[in-house]
Amino acid sequence: MTIFHWILLAGFVICLLSCLYHFFMALPAGKDIDYATPDAKTRQAVVYSFTKAMSPKKKETAFMHLPTYTAGIFYHLGTFLSLFLVIFIFFNVSFPTWLAYSIIVFLAFTSICGLSILIKRMTSSLLKNLSNPDDYFSNILVTGFQIITAIYLLLNTGLEYYFIITTILFLYLPIGKLRHTIYFFTARLHLGIFYGRRGTWPVKK
Amino acid sequence: MAGEKVIIMAKNNSLTEKQKKALKLLKSRLNGRLLTHLNSCVHCGLCGESCHYYLATKNKNFIPGKKVDIVSSIYQRYHTLAGKVAPRLYGAKDFNDKTVEELIDIVFGACSMCGRCSVHCSIGVDVPYIVRTARSMLVEMELVSPGLQSTVDAAINTGNNMGIPRDEFVDTLEWLSEDLEMEVEDEDASIPLDKKGVDILYTLNPREPKFFPLSISAIAKIYYAAKENWTLSTNVYDVTNYAYFSGDDKGAKELTERLCDEMSKLEAKTLVLAECGHGYRAIRWEGPNWIERPYPFKVISVVELIGDYIRSCRIKLDPSLNKLPVTLHDPCNMVRGGGVIEVQRFVIKNAVENFIEMMPNRANNFCCGGGGGQLAMSEYAERRIKSGKIKADQIRKTGAKIVATPCHNCIDQLMELNKEYQLGVEIKTIGELVADALVLEEKSN
Repeated sequence: MTIFHWILLAGFVICLLSCLYHFFMALPAGKDIDYATPDAKTRQAVVYSFTKAMSPKKKETAFMHLPTYTAGIFYHLGTFLSLFLVIFIFFNVSFPTWLAYSIIVFLAFTSICGLSILIKRMTSSLLKNLSNPDDYFSNILVTGFQIITAIYLLLNTGLEYYFIITTILFLYLPIGKLRHTIYFFTARLHLGIFYGRRGTWPVKK
Repeated sequence: MAGEKVIIMAKNNSLTEKQKKALKLLKSRLNGRLLTHLNSCVHCGLCGESCHYYLATKNKNFIPGKKVDIVSSIYQRYHTLAGKVAPRLYGAKDFNDKTVEELIDIVFGACSMCGRCSVHCSIGVDVPYIVRTARSMLVEMELVSPGLQSTVDAAINTGNNMGIPRDEFVDTLEWLSEDLEMEVEDEDASIPLDKKGVDILYTLNPREPKFFPLSISAIAKIYYAAKENWTLSTNVYDVTNYAYFSGDDKGAKELTERLCDEMSKLEAKTLVLAECGHGYRAIRWEGPNWIERPYPFKVISVVELIGDYIRSCRIKLDPSLNKLPVTLHDPCNMVRGGGVIEVQRFVIKNAVENFIEMMPNRANNFCCGGGGGQLAMSEYAERRIKSGKIKADQIRKTGAKIVATPCHNCIDQLMELNKEYQLGVEIKTIGELVADALVLEEKSN
């Protein structure tokens, strides 16, 4: 283990602990008690909230903005894949050439998706009005993480740079906009509970 | 005016006592749900098309994400380390005169808390929950829109939001009772007042006795046909709770407690709510949380009750008595926020010959623009009518001649839209449609 391995490990532990803190603070408890008699069981609605309610067919934010929605989906897939690859790169596990090249091509594509979202944020007056520096920085950081993952897989060099970028990502994740990694799940949970108790979700027709 | 009050507040960055009170309230509300929704928005900006305000005005500040952002930015500034250390990086804003003014305009003037954006949000941010929290902060600062505040005050001080004196209310009901007796040709028919030990205590929207008493007649006729054991209270009858809209939890609690006390006093079994979207949501779903205990009685909407009457054959309807094509406007607080979605369709289909669904509908329906207390805030009237164009276009596309809706606030807004956008439709409550289709049994001696 090099010093960079230790730095990355420390960054990961800090990230994990911070995320767990955010997660448990955001779970329903204490002051969230709802005294109104529920109309329906919430379990089905919570499942619905994470599944059918997320379907592009159900969401205007998806079907009315298909290019952005699709780019967003691939961008997130690229992020998840890159995060998953951290384990393999950390333990110096090598991939078969065909697999490595497949991943590189995929990450190149997802990085382009990330960049397209960044360009949209920089050029759309609606998004510029809504954005703060954190929105731009978060995108650059995550896109950079995907790019450097692809570069490392391609060249098999520059591990220290890869570890530094990944450590920055881990340390920044619980602070800025990227914390939606955690809050996305609690938001879907809370919304599922809210609409489930009232019988609005799951939609029956 | 709210704007004038803003100016007399501190003109520097130090917080005034009122601002401190507002921030203290925000802190006290930070449970898992609020923390989640204040931290979730990713500023994707895709929510604009879900909001009737943005669609009608194309004002960039009216997209739901922006509404969340202003509240979230205040939260970030005072309740997160990142916002305290690097406010510019995270868009954290000082809670100053400018922010307060912007907050008032957005949360009171550009949101009806309809919740349509939340259903379509790519994350699932509960926008109306955040907006109402912001309104509660403005309650602490005594910066609620004057019209809305006076409606809340009237309800608390006089027992109903229109300040109708009790004698006038009783006179109206006695007249309606006599009218019912003549209409059904039965001297035993009546509108029972303050009767104890009933199955149902029925509530009203004060606009009914004040301006539209025929909707009371319609429901009284349905109760008569169903042989219901019911009553109206002459002291506590107001189904509305504008404190829900203003964000005033103390006021909302007071109004809820009064209904609970009246139920107990009259020993009624079920509280039946008149056709009122926010009234349904406030009493059925929010009320128990304001009083911090479950109700010891059942609460249902009169539309649900009518549905039960039809299913159990307690009333008979002849749809051919309503020949004109009818469409339905789904009130946001009753449908999306209340879960009453299908029963009004069942009732209408049994009461009319030709029912046409409005598109989109149910939980995807657009707000008419009258929700969120907008009808009480005259300073935003022009914006309200403009935002209602989305609803007007929806109505026009159906080709219906009658728009039915189980909400008196929606009716008021739809009547204005009808005039402004020359829709040429008639606006009715569901009770009125049902009353028109009622087939009364001949009384046997």
